[in-house]
Amino acid sequence: MTQQQQPATTGPGTTIPAPSVRQLTFQWAGGPAIPVLSVVIALLLGAVFVLLSGNDPVAAYAALVQGAFGTPYDLTETLVAAIPLVLTGLAVAIAFRTGLFNIGAQGQLLVGALAAGWAGAQFASWPGIVLMPTVIVFGVAGGAFYGGIVGFLKAVRGVNEVITTIMLNYTIVFVMHWLLQAGPMSAPNALGTPASTPIGAGARLPVIIPNELVLFSRLHAGIILAALAVVVFWFVLWRTPLGYRLRAVGLGAHAAAQAGIDPARHMVLVMAIAGGFAGLGGMIEVSGIFGRVYDGFSSSYGFDAIAVALLGKNSPLGIVFAALLFGAFVHGGAYMQSHAGISSNLVAIIQAFVLFVIAAEALVRSLTRRRGARKPVEAIA
Amino acid sequence: MTSTVAPHVELVEMRGIVKRFGDFTALHGVDLVVAEHEIHALLGENGAGKSTLMNILYGLYRPDGGTIRLAGQDAAIHSPRDAIARGIGMIHQHFMLIPPLTVAENVVLGDERSGPVLSRHALAARVRELEERFHIGVDPDAKVEDLPLGLQQRVEILKVLYRGSELLIFDEPTAVLTPQEVDELFTIVRTLRDEGKVVIFITHKLREVFAVTDRITVLRAGRNAGELVTKATSPSEIARLMVGRELRQVQARTPVTASGAVLEIRGLEARSDRGATALQGIDLTVNAGEILGVAGVGGNGQSELAECVLGLREPTAGSIVIGGADIAHDDPKRTRERGVAYVPEDRRTEGLVLAFTVADNFILGKQDRPPFSTRGVLDDDAIRTNGDRLAKEFDVRPPNARAIVANLSGGNQQKVVLGRELSERPTLIVVSQPTRGLDIGSTEYVWERLLEQRARGCGVLLVSSELDEIRALSDRIAVMFEGRLVATLAAADATEERLGLLMAGHAEAALA
Amino acid sequence: MTLEMLIGASVFAATLRLAAPIALAALGGVTTERSGVTNIALEGSMLVGCFFGVVAADRAHNVWIGLAIAILAGVLLAGLHAYAAIALRADQIVSGMALNILALGLTTYLDYQMYGTTGTPADLPVLPDVQLGFLKGVPYVGDAIGSQNLMVWTMGVLVVLLQLSLFRTVAGLRLRAVGEHPRAAETVGIDVRRIRYAAVLASGALAALGGAYLSLGVAHSFTDGMTGGRGFIGLAAMIFGRWTPVGALAASLIFGYGNALSTSLQGASIGDVKVPVQLLGTLPYILTILAVAGFVGRSRPPAADGLPYETEGHA
Repeated sequence: MTQQQQPATTGPGTTIPAPSVRQLTFQWAGGPAIPVLSVVIALLLGAVFVLLSGNDPVAAYAALVQGAFGTPYDLTETLVAAIPLVLTGLAVAIAFRTGLFNIGAQGQLLVGALAAGWAGAQFASWPGIVLMPTVIVFGVAGGAFYGGIVGFLKAVRGVNEVITTIMLNYTIVFVMHWLLQAGPMSAPNALGTPASTPIGAGARLPVIIPNELVLFSRLHAGIILAALAVVVFWFVLWRTPLGYRLRAVGLGAHAAAQAGIDPARHMVLVMAIAGGFAGLGGMIEVSGIFGRVYDGFSSSYGFDAIAVALLGKNSPLGIVFAALLFGAFVHGGAYMQSHAGISSNLVAIIQAFVLFVIAAEALVRSLTRRRGARKPVEAIA
Repeated sequence: MTSTVAPHVELVEMRGIVKRFGDFTALHGVDLVVAEHEIHALLGENGAGKSTLMNILYGLYRPDGGTIRLAGQDAAIHSPRDAIARGIGMIHQHFMLIPPLTVAENVVLGDERSGPVLSRHALAARVRELEERFHIGVDPDAKVEDLPLGLQQRVEILKVLYRGSELLIFDEPTAVLTPQEVDELFTIVRTLRDEGKVVIFITHKLREVFAVTDRITVLRAGRNAGELVTKATSPSEIARLMVGRELRQVQARTPVTASGAVLEIRGLEARSDRGATALQGIDLTVNAGEILGVAGVGGNGQSELAECVLGLREPTAGSIVIGGADIAHDDPKRTRERGVAYVPEDRRTEGLVLAFTVADNFILGKQDRPPFSTRGVLDDDAIRTNGDRLAKEFDVRPPNARAIVANLSGGNQQKVVLGRELSERPTLIVVSQPTRGLDIGSTEYVWERLLEQRARGCGVLLVSSELDEIRALSDRIAVMFEGRLVATLAAADATEERLGLLMAGHAEAALA
Repeated sequence: MTLEMLIGASVFAATLRLAAPIALAALGGVTTERSGVTNIALEGSMLVGCFFGVVAADRAHNVWIGLAIAILAGVLLAGLHAYAAIALRADQIVSGMALNILALGLTTYLDYQMYGTTGTPADLPVLPDVQLGFLKGVPYVGDAIGSQNLMVWTMGVLVVLLQLSLFRTVAGLRLRAVGEHPRAAETVGIDVRRIRYAAVLASGALAALGGAYLSLGVAHSFTDGMTGGRGFIGLAAMIFGRWTPVGALAASLIFGYGNALSTSLQGASIGDVKVPVQLLGTLPYILTILAVAGFVGRSRPPAADGLPYETEGHA
């Protein structure tokens, strides 16, 4: 499993590692038309599928929508589901912007969760004013470290990040099993499931919607952190020289290199930043929802994140909307299963279709662009 | 044009071949006649159309006009498979070999002539048979990736012979060979001819032409420039046919007294991407206020030279001194800090980030500095103002700093590159193929700006395959051939003929 | 911790049993990547093979029909990937991932629709074990290989077949050529696309075999997502095994051994310290990273692997 772009600069004495992603494939111009169309097509395909398996698509989708937005409680639950997706979506997107395929958002999120969970328990007695920032720092740092490994291996050893991220994702799952089942972080709990020591009260993100407004709401202050992260994402990429450099490497690694911007160094940087976003997501889950780290608490944020990033065209607003959409899928899907009797996995099927449509669409674009273009210079004489 | 001697039997007759790529015409109705028992040279500079013509003969391209006859019969060649079936074989410039497979496996691939199971022995034996017949030595069981390029080429030749080719087309065969390997190749080629094969050599090197060929067809800018018999012609005549053309008006230049060296290269050596030697013992100096033009047919080390100066390629030996310091092993960032500007060969992939705006491209490399960013934040106003100013100053059309560079024409894209590189008062400008693909207006614009920099006291290292560009701009001209600087002449001494000879590797005749 | 726990016959037997599905997936990976196509949807092919094998065996009351359908399912899924990667030249990672998600969603969905919460039937026809009676009394060997499943033996045969095919037949030669330098292969008249399609479809079949083994051979049932990442471990085994069938088998055995240990060492301790069996699960992944990063010898994929190929604009 290797590079997706012509490795044009891999001879002796050259210094530029080729980015993995065909950039223009994933950052096509034009507004939300294509992503919206992709979702619509995927939903239609999903409807066909539901029909074929002997069920009523209208009822299915109605239940889905009902479940996602039907009551204020559902709204807050959709938001709760969307929050980690925003962060992992950002983690994937910022890497895409630099030409890297970050499949490791899942693992980076878990490392962040573990780090934050550990710090939150270790320093449980500290007051919130100090503990909360500490836990945030640990979450971000944990994820950044894990992402940085990937960037480092790519820059120094030329290892394709697709391989390393998948491997690291699985690695941390098992490390987590050990840590929480039999290792230093394991602690007994009422449910009897493997989990860590609860974090201190000062590290818990408070629920921001009072019970009087919405009963049992779990919507926590993590939404603010997520919003801040989106702003940071936008700010870094478009308002700082660092972001300029990252985008330059992603869109024109050669040009950047000859101008003095080192692609290798920036690959490490961006993977660390990406990991930081995902790690923050992990911390938010621990601080806002669980209060401790449960073994296997998060299973699919990683792959969802890729769909979120692609659908959102690697842009801040797009990611937010895509995350909301998938959050709606997650929460609405559960309702759809219990009330319309249609497996919530329909959602996964729709998601797969979305990815497929995006992958195919990108190609259609590149084909139509190439049709009018000239033959490459090397063909002449 | 000298008179041609009528060939005995015409094996290959290509008449009036036309080939277009989009709105660019590569061949304007070219003729090629090759007889039996002949080694025929197809000669010309970069862009002359040699490879295109041969790709048509080999079935890789379809001609837009003209006819092809093989051994007297009309022939339509739709694919390499067709060509191979008709006895035409091509030894490509970039070898079509599979590195981890053995020599024998590479030779028989696609035409294995065996049951489903392959026997290593049988394959090797078959290959050895061929080798003996044509005196080509190479170990059939060796892995291609372990062989030096000279031996790899032999595998290409064996491939073609295995398929029973009667006509062998060699595309720039000596580009990656050492002198000894070149002589060995010539021996093989002569044996091929003696065994009844016909050989076409695509080349730009006179030495090869005079060493092994019988007849020559010269192409220039997609047209026939002459058909000659090797024995009856001279290097000068060929050089003139290859190179001569209507020159644009040579710019009147104010003589500027060059003062002090801004770039001194000593003993520079480097390798190409494929691992071959690209630069051998290069010594050159560029002075302030002068333009040193590096002429030569593309692929003789010019690109590698520019890359080494910039820090994009690690030299294997030698020094590059700018401002008193050896920057041979510095990265581009450091090198640029010493006042080096770079206009790269391929503006689309190396010079610009096509998806960025004009204004953003103007600050590429300078994004961290004030006024473009202060305290870690980009200053959009400053960037935009700078963009507007430079777009106007460098005549970018339309002068819209917000336009996406991908949508600009080639000429305007190059102006953006110039604007970025020339606006900071550099000490040394390295510029490579600056007007490739540009129309006359843009070309003259680029030339003017470069001359301006020279008048300002900047030193310019100009690398170009376009002779009239070299002659129009340079104070001194150096010629590169096979990785060496074969001569450095004052502009006044650099006649067309001399340059043509030097570019074709004929140093002695040129400097006589 | 005793020696028996480390290298006992039952550990050996478990190693083979656990390695088999991984190896089958890895063989699939070798086939496709040697032709130049990255197929990370092996996990998906495995899973659909797992599920549809059970469904077919159940409905037809015949395990061989189940096996056939399983292979068909795996091939179909791989076919989608082949179409996307070869004809559409879409991004192979995204396509592969989409298919994995599809496979998981689809099988879980259909499992719910068809078997609800009661699960697959208990009387499923199963893939038989191969009882080697003559080994009954033989110490160690008898327990180790005396009653391995048919699939394990099939896997062994396939390894040998594929190894020989890849390096000693015309088809294998052409496959390797296409994966290393498709342009060169095309210039000698080889149909790059056809070979790649065949390779990807074959990989789907192999992975599905592995999946069918899991459901019809080991668990005798289907549970959602039961492949549990084995398809990815198979890819890791392929990488660690340097893209050869024999290497993939060796790697699968190592990974299978690690897996077997984590069961046999449950609760064991060295002195006072409990053996961290969970960490054994990281073994395949860490080893693979080390291999790709060049710390454990050179591991280089076929040169054209993962790169979409444009056929030359022919005359």
